[in-house]
Amino acid sequence: MIRLIRGEFYRLLHKKSTYLYFALLAVGYFLVAFVRSGGFTAQSVVDDALNAFVFLPVLVGGFLFAAVYTDDLNARNLAVLVGFGISKTKVVLAKLVCAAVLNAAAFALVPLFHVAVYALFGSAATTDALGSVYAVAFKFYLTTVAFSALSGIVVYGLQRTTFAVVAFVLLAFNVVSGLAASLFGLIDPALRDHLIPGITDRIVSGVVFGSPVAGALVEYIAYVAFAVAVSAVVFHRKEMEF
Amino acid sequence: MTQAVLRTHALTKKYGGSCALDGVSLAVYEGDIYGLVGRNGAGKTTFFKCVIGLCRPSAGEIEIDGDTGRLSVSRRRTGFMISPSFFPYLDPRESLEYLCRVKGIAPAGEVDRLLGLVGLAGVRKPFKSFSLGMKQRLGIAGALLGSPSLVVLDEPINGLDPQGIIDMRELIKNVHAQTGATLVVSSHILSELDMVATRFGFIEQGVLLKEISHQDLHARTKKSLVIEVDDVPKACALLNAAGIEGIAAKGDQLVLQSHLDRAPWVARILVSGNIGLKGLHRQETTLEEYFMQLVGGGHGD
Repeated sequence: MIRLIRGEFYRLLHKKSTYLYFALLAVGYFLVAFVRSGGFTAQSVVDDALNAFVFLPVLVGGFLFAAVYTDDLNARNLAVLVGFGISKTKVVLAKLVCAAVLNAAAFALVPLFHVAVYALFGSAATTDALGSVYAVAFKFYLTTVAFSALSGIVVYGLQRTTFAVVAFVLLAFNVVSGLAASLFGLIDPALRDHLIPGITDRIVSGVVFGSPVAGALVEYIAYVAFAVAVSAVVFHRKEMEF
Repeated sequence: MTQAVLRTHALTKKYGGSCALDGVSLAVYEGDIYGLVGRNGAGKTTFFKCVIGLCRPSAGEIEIDGDTGRLSVSRRRTGFMISPSFFPYLDPRESLEYLCRVKGIAPAGEVDRLLGLVGLAGVRKPFKSFSLGMKQRLGIAGALLGSPSLVVLDEPINGLDPQGIIDMRELIKNVHAQTGATLVVSSHILSELDMVATRFGFIEQGVLLKEISHQDLHARTKKSLVIEVDDVPKACALLNAAGIEGIAAKGDQLVLQSHLDRAPWVARILVSGNIGLKGLHRQETTLEEYFMQLVGGGHGD
């Protein structure tokens, strides 16, 4: 599995469009900050992070999801990996590790970039503000990894790029959790806390405010483990096509 | 007998009601270039998919290097190309280095060796801008990573132009000569495989019809001179007296495997011996004709 992860990082770091995409994203962010800089207040650096980082699962997580997962479908690489004798379960796990590590790197850099851009336009962040920005980024990192794991079921079960990307985007835009929340709301509104957005909110609250976090962590791990298990099962049942 | 590198026992694969492979038992021996010949949809790719583990056989057994139990380990020593599959944005070197990392092979030296072997050394453009021939070449290089003892190539000449077919044929010969790997190559064009393969397996509608060596195949596709006469024993004696040997008599026909270019001379001998010569023509069973006879005529793909 380590070999596969090493290989995946090698190819992803040689994917030139990754650099281009993130460069364009950075320029776009810079321009938006420039336009907004006239009305900056002391709270802007945190408030704007709250508003802007909502899009990180789609803009950052979506791109990395496509790079890690759906590139394999387009290049029919899953069949190559299985043909090399790598077990399907290891492929599922390796891909999730890659997605988690790459998203961790991206979500660690985004707050620094955000704070640096805002400082450039006169809205410097205090240490507390930086902590808050990181807390927001951490929440969306957790949701992105969970959504990647859940969308993996579609990747391995259907092995169709379009369906996989649509599944991720629906999750990342909270369409699925919104529908589920509405449904759960009819039964018991407290159930909403057990969907990914609610769970990640509880984890971040625990980290920031010191409230109990173990239950939320267990639920989060259960979601990811469930997604991995189902992905592995559907992948094992699916025959590989060239 | 040399050792079988790949052997299948009654390999069967069913999709719903249809049988893609029906009890295929074949053996590929060390050092073979085994040509798997069959029309489109005959079951060649399904056979390969079963061998490399992309689909589960419905019944039967696969043996790689004498091992039936731990096929996932044996498959790591098997190279394959079933339509070249690489990431579109990686160039040939990056593509092979990626596969090296995944397979746990040190890329130093190995990548250069293989790129040189398939004629892609120095190519820096990404896979997406490759011609089909280049893609096939890179696919073969990928299959050869780590010097596998068994290499499976599915339709490597499919879709290539005439020059590409010649180049691919030479490449397969070079690969075999330089690596000593056992190759299993499929195609629906027997005449192309004939130029590289040492043994053949003919497959049709999932059934392995026949396995035959290159030598035996050519014995069955020999050219001959067919002479129709009114007196077969006398004609036979005349021809024997003229030093022609290996005459086969069949009804009112004599079949000669030699002297094909001396038909006028043969005719003169018979006519001067007062033999009634009813007909004389060259007969040739081409590889294609042999194949079509074997698979039962020209009905569809």
